[in-house]
Amino acid sequence: MRRHERLIVAAVVLGLLALWETLVRLGRIDPGLAPAPTTVADALVRLAGRPEVRASLGVTAWEVLAAFLIALPTGLLLGFLLAEMPLLGALFRPLVNFLFGVPKSIFLPVFILVFGVSIAQKVAFGVFTTVFVLIVGGIAAVQSVPRDLITVSRAYGATRAQIIREIYLPAMAPILLESARLAMVFNITAVLLCEIYGARDGIGYRIAAWGENLQMPQLYAALVLVAVAAVAVNEVLRAVESRLGAWRQTQ
Amino acid sequence: MTRALVAIRGVTQRFGPDGAAVTALESIDLEIPDGQFVAVVGPSGCGKSTLLSLVAGLRMPSSGAVLCDGEPMTAPMPRKVGMIFQEANLLPWLSAVDNVAFPLKLRRVAKAERLAAAARMLQLTGLAGFEDRLPHQLSGGMKQRVAIARGLVQNPAVLLMDEPFASLDEQTRMVLGDELLRIWSETRKTVLFVTHSLNEAVYLADRVVVLSARPGRVVDDVAVDLPRPRSFAMTGSERFGLLKDRIWQHIKSAERR
Repeated sequence: MRRHERLIVAAVVLGLLALWETLVRLGRIDPGLAPAPTTVADALVRLAGRPEVRASLGVTAWEVLAAFLIALPTGLLLGFLLAEMPLLGALFRPLVNFLFGVPKSIFLPVFILVFGVSIAQKVAFGVFTTVFVLIVGGIAAVQSVPRDLITVSRAYGATRAQIIREIYLPAMAPILLESARLAMVFNITAVLLCEIYGARDGIGYRIAAWGENLQMPQLYAALVLVAVAAVAVNEVLRAVESRLGAWRQTQ
Repeated sequence: MTRALVAIRGVTQRFGPDGAAVTALESIDLEIPDGQFVAVVGPSGCGKSTLLSLVAGLRMPSSGAVLCDGEPMTAPMPRKVGMIFQEANLLPWLSAVDNVAFPLKLRRVAKAERLAAAARMLQLTGLAGFEDRLPHQLSGGMKQRVAIARGLVQNPAVLLMDEPFASLDEQTRMVLGDELLRIWSETRKTVLFVTHSLNEAVYLADRVVVLSARPGRVVDDVAVDLPRPRSFAMTGSERFGLLKDRIWQHIKSAERR
């Protein structure tokens, strides 16, 4: 975004917040449903200072990270295998495409039955939800490698290892990062869903509890917290992606 | 006569299961002396490109052999043979100079050395000043110049060109043809140039080899006795027309079949 576009976006956001604040103070919006931004900000500062809330955030972050670190190599490796081995691909790609389209949330009760209400359950469900995005991404990445460039490299005497390093990796990098970013979005959603559905700790668990107790300022503050964290992760991955994929821009 | 730098001896190429299905090339015998510019023409699907990939060592013939400088080609020999394709096929994430240096990188030549060599080649192909451009920032003709520079960077004795100007517009094509002749007269490579264009073949080459429709056989081997340096005016001369017509008769009868 250019500078003046950013200024416009900031002005619109501030304007909406000011409108919201005014409407609550004038009594036009029920603060029990939507507390004023200043009230939410106040709750946010207090929450951030509470050790048990920080611990919950830590638990969630740990579950998200563990699931991601397991799913990333597993999913991409499976994707590469399915793309490069015709027989394996013919057997399993229809299955992967089928499961990719099924909403993973319907399997959540099964995960509770198998793993109990535990951190392992959250991680397993996160992996399960994420891995299909990565398999499909891995296949797409391999297929995006231009065959002609491989022929050129061979004509210039490239070894198999050189073809992987000099052609496959740079050609696949943008799609791999894009898949990782998408997978992270799915992953965070899956772990939070698990926590809201049934957990003993984690920020999702607290959001569910505050919601049930109608503690709206805390609930909204937690939403802001989670949103900021998720957007930050997304933006970091996107920055890396656009840097490594600059050559893909036409013009 | 100078000894043959590239020798194609009794080469037959079949495709399909057990090599039985389709015969692409049959009993090709060609001796190409050092420094000669040879154009290969023929009806579509006659195996012209297959012939080049055999000389490049990208595939092995079903029978017969290809010798380069007396050595049988069993694998690509990038230091002896440079290859240029119909599409420039540049690595889109590398700058022009890095693309030209790529064959040297594969051979683990030191960075400073390979970049210097690549910059010299870009100079030779008229792209000085465009070293740091990415492929998507270059025009089609410029990309093909980069590809030619990449083909020349290892100073190979043989340059294989597979319809290198086919995807360019007519004017760029003519300019690049003249550029190629200038580069050729400066470097004296042996060139094997596959093309669909009879004009291009007669204008550029010392000799035009005409292949028949599949299975590709050599049906004529035409010495182009036009003086060098070639000029655009020659394309209107009687001799030029006669040579083109002789080649056209073969192609026409093949395409009609």
